[in-house]
Amino acid sequence: MGISVKNLVKSFGSLTVIHSISFDVADGEFVTLLGPSGCGKTTTLRCIAGLDTPSSGTIAINGEMVSDPANDLFVPPHERDLGMVFQSYAVWPHLTVEENVAFPLTIKGERDVAAGVAWALDIVGMGKLAKRRPSELSGGQQQRVALARAIAARPQLLLFDEPLSNLDARLRDRTRLEISRIQRELKVPALYVTHDQTEALSMSDRIIVMEAGRIVQEGDPRALYQQPVNRFVADFIGGANFLHVQRVGQKWQLENGLPLEVDPATDRDDGRSKIALLRPEAIRLDATSASEAAGQNRLTGRVVGGMYLGPHVEYIVEVGADRLRAYSRTALAPGSPAVLTFDARDCRLVDDTPQTEARSLHA
Amino acid sequence: MSVLQGSGAGRSEDGFRLGAPALRARPNAARRPVANGGVLTGLYVVVFAVVAFLALVPLAALVVGSLRDTSPGLPGQWTLANWANLVSPGVIDTLLTTLVVAGLSTIFAMIIGTALALVIHRTDFRWPNAMTGMLALSFYFPSFILAMAWIVIGSPGGVINDVLREFLGIESVSVDIYSTWGIIFVMVLHQVPFVYLTIRGPIMGMDPSYEEAARTAGASPWCMLRRVTLPMLAYALASSALLCLVLTLEQFGIPVLIGVPGHVTVLATQIYLLCRFPPTAYGLAAAIGLTLAVITSVAILLQRRLARGERSVTTTGKAGKITPIPLGVWRWPVNLFCGFYVAVSLILPGLILLYTSLIKFFTANPFDAVFTFRNYLYIWNSEETQRAIINTIIVSGGGALVGVLLGVACSYYVVRLRPTGYRLLDALVMLPFGVPGIVLGLGLLWAYAYLPLPLYGTLTLIVLAYVTRFLPYAAETSGARFVQLDRSLEEAAWTAGASRLAGVWRILMPLSLPSLQSSYFLLFMAFFREISATILIFTASTSVLSVSIWSAFEQANWGLASALSILAMVLMVAMMSLLLWAMPGARRR
Repeated sequence: MGISVKNLVKSFGSLTVIHSISFDVADGEFVTLLGPSGCGKTTTLRCIAGLDTPSSGTIAINGEMVSDPANDLFVPPHERDLGMVFQSYAVWPHLTVEENVAFPLTIKGERDVAAGVAWALDIVGMGKLAKRRPSELSGGQQQRVALARAIAARPQLLLFDEPLSNLDARLRDRTRLEISRIQRELKVPALYVTHDQTEALSMSDRIIVMEAGRIVQEGDPRALYQQPVNRFVADFIGGANFLHVQRVGQKWQLENGLPLEVDPATDRDDGRSKIALLRPEAIRLDATSASEAAGQNRLTGRVVGGMYLGPHVEYIVEVGADRLRAYSRTALAPGSPAVLTFDARDCRLVDDTPQTEARSLHA
Repeated sequence: MSVLQGSGAGRSEDGFRLGAPALRARPNAARRPVANGGVLTGLYVVVFAVVAFLALVPLAALVVGSLRDTSPGLPGQWTLANWANLVSPGVIDTLLTTLVVAGLSTIFAMIIGTALALVIHRTDFRWPNAMTGMLALSFYFPSFILAMAWIVIGSPGGVINDVLREFLGIESVSVDIYSTWGIIFVMVLHQVPFVYLTIRGPIMGMDPSYEEAARTAGASPWCMLRRVTLPMLAYALASSALLCLVLTLEQFGIPVLIGVPGHVTVLATQIYLLCRFPPTAYGLAAAIGLTLAVITSVAILLQRRLARGERSVTTTGKAGKITPIPLGVWRWPVNLFCGFYVAVSLILPGLILLYTSLIKFFTANPFDAVFTFRNYLYIWNSEETQRAIINTIIVSGGGALVGVLLGVACSYYVVRLRPTGYRLLDALVMLPFGVPGIVLGLGLLWAYAYLPLPLYGTLTLIVLAYVTRFLPYAAETSGARFVQLDRSLEEAAWTAGASRLAGVWRILMPLSLPSLQSSYFLLFMAFFREISATILIFTASTSVLSVSIWSAFEQANWGLASALSILAMVLMVAMMSLLLWAMPGARRR
């Protein structure tokens, strides 16, 4: 059940924005499409909603085919029985909160509209503001109305198009939890589109990372963070340092010739160009050399600058031609030497993909 | 009057492909609204056909007509003589006169209109609201009635000369409105409110921080006005000037009333003269009409290009409170100027018409006058006039509704659905924008002499002419609103289970209501006072009020013409109040 997308292609004229992607969303599962702007995630969602017409491939919702251009089949959005939350909220300004939420119920001819409205507003905690007009609500409140409207008719599928991107940071955290809770209560499959890695990591059962109209990697949040398949995913999810490495015999070494121990699980010679990923929190940064243990790397570098963030200082350290981010609680002056220590297992080789705009967006 | 600026492009996503994937019935779809891709496709074909018919038939007929050597409907030969005659000295002369009259009128109207807008919205002028109200009223003052009033005032036997001779005993100085300058004077009076209304929006919408930055940089108020405010308004001013030029080029009522007795002919009046007075030359009239339409269309294309640039430059839309510039010693000169303008464009013409309508024989001295109600009694008893009044109300009330609905349908396809060929539809809708009323009337005259449609002599033809002429305004008003409304508002309705038609009806229409109301208001008022498109196609049974006024004046019956004008204006004000009361959305400007 849930959603099943097979070989979905979407072109606008000669421009293809989705290149034959396939994925499933299981019943009750919360899946996130994550990627930089322009990667095709929103278009994918809109194809599933029926707001865009796919060029080819099939989409089935709960086992029922809703889009299959090859067989001239297209079920319009209003017959797909879904609830969708839009980035702009799209709360209708000419209707009250109550009337907004009642809309899907009345249009589907539900008998007890009032009860449905009360239920939905209660879930998002907006019962007291039922008579208000959208113009009298804050952004967060409008967001809740949009959410209540999406769930009011108890759809068999929930779709979210960057619903939190217009909220401020604190409200975003709270609403995130709330959306998760509501989805689990309703036990319906949900597809969530975002470019925000924190949202994706904290809410999803599974994340699908997209780049330039293709799926790069999918998996649960932990796997994506810990075992990214390439530089793009590593860079897009979480903070990442990259060390340029080369294979010399059976060993890997930095560009300046120093040896580097890497996670043996990732040490595959598959002919693709590799780069070493090192998360900032895996690095121990000291002013002087500490004792070296087996399976550990030790590099010396020079502090370029530091930012005081409260819990720790984030330093930029130059190691050879690479600049690394590392955290430390010790004060280090710019220009002073520093020693970086990290486990070989924390240093993973990933495919070196060409840098995309994701990097600048993410930084 | 922001409706006159180009309708922007919406987002280009093809959420809708006509005739693409077939809609499939689902077992549980029975209780839902019927999927209506078919209805929308069918409606698109109808709308497309209607618009193409409205826009192309008159123009095609003109092209055919310009190649015939006889009057519409008569057997004749194909000929190129009409086009060859365009370069005759007479036509060239008329063309030059037209350009001079329109050009000078535009320049003066721009200067006065812009000055008034700056005075009202940028200085500590005491009565900004009263002045805006007066200008809005004079905007709706029909041009040919204004011309009539000024003929009564300024003709050789009119008020001014009477006063000069009888009261002051001056014989050496006399005034003659029947001249090029007379036409320009009345045209300027008529165009100033238009310029004001088009400039007012950009002035009020300008982000105050630009001007504040100039002030903090050390600019005096006048220096700021000269170096910041006016340059920033350059696009808006240029675009307003081009539209003003188009309106003066196609202006018919003023040059025909004032120019014909004074032997000053412009292209619009020449078309009329060629069709009305023997020896008629309908073919030459068609060729001149097409030439005039090409000139105005070029001006409109330029204006639309400017309007596109304008959006990228100036305004943020958040109007702010700006410290008004103190008028200082200029206060009284400015007050006098504003008072003078209101007097000559509104109050004086109104009073003169009222006076003329109440006297038996014309005299400038009210103490010599014999007062009478016979003109009003005549109207009361004249079946012909009553029919004209009823016709006017039917044509304005019903025609405006047809126009608004057609405009909404067009802009929904052009802005939202964007099916195959929507660009062509957009171009067709905008085509009549460049066709002057008298040219459109002539086109219809040619067309219905040949088309086997029983429309000639019906009110439907009049409605057809008006709807064609004002369809661009109707489509732009609703289109501008649709562009403002985020697509997701409708998409949210679809995902909530509403069909496309239900989304339009329950979400888009209620949210666009104020725009639709103001579009209806605009069309109603325009239809009520329209004369240039009617003058060649009306018949005895389809006469409207504007034509009745016209004929009375042409028969030198100033009294009856004035009484009818007063009646028309009373009706207009009554209708205006009624519409504004019934449709609060129309009030928004």
